[in-house]
Amino acid sequence: MDKPMPLTEALFYILLSLGEPNHGYGVIQQVSAMTGGRVVLGPGTLYGAINALLERGWISLYSEETDARKKKEYLRTAAGTQALTQEVARLEELVQNARAYLKSDGRGHHAQI
Amino acid sequence: MRKFKLYYDKDEEEAWLQSMCAKGWAFQKFFLGVYTFEPCEPGEYTYRIDLMANSFQEQEQYKAFMRETGVEPVAQWYRWCYLRRKASEGPFELYSDVDSMIAHYSRIRRFFTGALVLEAICLLTEINGLLTTGDPVFWFFTGLILAFVVVIASAVHKCGHKIRGLREG
Repeated sequence: MDKPMPLTEALFYILLSLGEPNHGYGVIQQVSAMTGGRVVLGPGTLYGAINALLERGWISLYSEETDARKKKEYLRTAAGTQALTQEVARLEELVQNARAYLKSDGRGHHAQI
Repeated sequence: MRKFKLYYDKDEEEAWLQSMCAKGWAFQKFFLGVYTFEPCEPGEYTYRIDLMANSFQEQEQYKAFMRETGVEPVAQWYRWCYLRRKASEGPFELYSDVDSMIAHYSRIRRFFTGALVLEAICLLTEINGLLTTGDPVFWFFTGLILAFVVVIASAVHKCGHKIRGLREG
């Protein structure tokens, strides 16, 4: 089992937002709402990310209507949920250490254990 | 309305299409250096150019995906896709983070490097013909292909420069 790689913000948020089936445009809107407009995914970025996630088996195609008006929807898989959970654990470790070691004046110190 | 221009830098090409749109001309079609425009409201659209994959199926998937996100694939030339979106819908950037931008320019650089290799082989063939026959026709083609090689090599170099700039942040 190789060492899990940190996820980019885009991949993280796309994985997070696909806990429910959604299409490309919906993901862009949801991620923008989740981040208060800070992360606005470009369609090129999203296209590449979705293909990468499909290849890794972290998301799958949820529905594909032959009706041209219906958009393709994606959904996170069990493997994707596991990857996301591992990433959250990694990020929590970062934040916990920051809270412990980073003083409010911006300087670090050894924690008194 | 038509204009003839040869671009090898897609960012400069985008900027030009943007400036044309600001003057009230919306880009519609490209063919061998000939750009076709239609009248529009000044600044009505934002234009972007992307390099798609090689297969027809992937290209159709890409264009369908773009349409689903509200982006219009207005023209295509080989693997190059010309995209536009109404300016009223807000700023239009294809790539919103550094990693995907690097991937974008890396793909373009790979594309130009492949073309460079092919052109270099053609150049060597022409030079060989030139040296073995001395036929003046070979002078012309050698010169032509040499020009292509120089242009494509500088396109590869420019991509490398942009990627380095993105990496250094």
